[in-house]
Amino acid sequence: MRPWRLPFERTIVLGIVLVMAGCQTTPSTLPAAEPRPAAECRWSVGDRAVQPLVRAAVDALEAEGFLIRHTDLALGLVSAERTRILPGYGDRYDGWDRRGMFGGIGIGGGRGGVSSGVMIGFGGVGSLTRDATQLERVSLLAGDGEVRVSRDIQVIDWRGELAEARSASSAEFCRRLRDAIEAGGVS
Amino acid sequence: MRRLAGMLLLALLLAGCATPVTREPPRELDFPYAPEATLRASAQVLMANGYVVRHADADLGRLEAVFSRWPGYRVLVEVSGEGEQSRVSLAATRGGRPLPPQTLDRLLVEMQDQLGMWR
Repeated sequence: MRPWRLPFERTIVLGIVLVMAGCQTTPSTLPAAEPRPAAECRWSVGDRAVQPLVRAAVDALEAEGFLIRHTDLALGLVSAERTRILPGYGDRYDGWDRRGMFGGIGIGGGRGGVSSGVMIGFGGVGSLTRDATQLERVSLLAGDGEVRVSRDIQVIDWRGELAEARSASSAEFCRRLRDAIEAGGVS
Repeated sequence: MRRLAGMLLLALLLAGCATPVTREPPRELDFPYAPEATLRASAQVLMANGYVVRHADADLGRLEAVFSRWPGYRVLVEVSGEGEQSRVSLAATRGGRPLPPQTLDRLLVEMQDQLGMWR
């Protein structure tokens, strides 16, 4: 037997493993945020009317730079998003040598002649276009004597691919939003 | 023989991933509550799980929520009915592909808990 040839049974086992591992398995249940949304993302508002709450929430979110995407007063829902450029995000993963910071020098020859050139510049198109975009999505639900907030963050890199995706219903964000709503929406 | 087995395994390996997008039936359940209350319960449960509601309309009886984890999850809730009766229809996709209906069972159970808390 040649040393590189696997025994027949082993080939079968390896093949089955490959077949089973090759495809993603579908999850048995829907995913949930881990950790769960912070306790601060849910607060009681007593018997306050929904409309002033939604109005205050819209104002608070817009003041934070969010764009209101959708509202539904019957449910007391506000859905908003905001985008932010993350400069040089792609550079974290690309080698420093792949982009010329201060131009480059080239010498070339051909057809019996030699030519040389010097290129001077700052940056380059590469580092300008490698900014990623961070998309932050928030939904707020007011009603039943409480307000709930959920939030997630996605980072889309300069190629347009999803680089990061995470749930971000953090205590800090919800506390700030709650303070802004309560400061602006007392009625 | 060995070569044949090898080719068969390779074919299986390649065919395994190229499954066409299957249409999954939505997961449906009747609730003894008004459609708006049921739709609200779905929003509360989804948000408690970290989902972000992107669109909801009580008059249409429709709600769409997303979950930010690769490759991207999306849940569509549709509620129909009148009075104190409603039928909930849930569908979910993962990376644009429909998820089997049984993956939505936990959501329905949590909705029942949520609605039970009210009364």
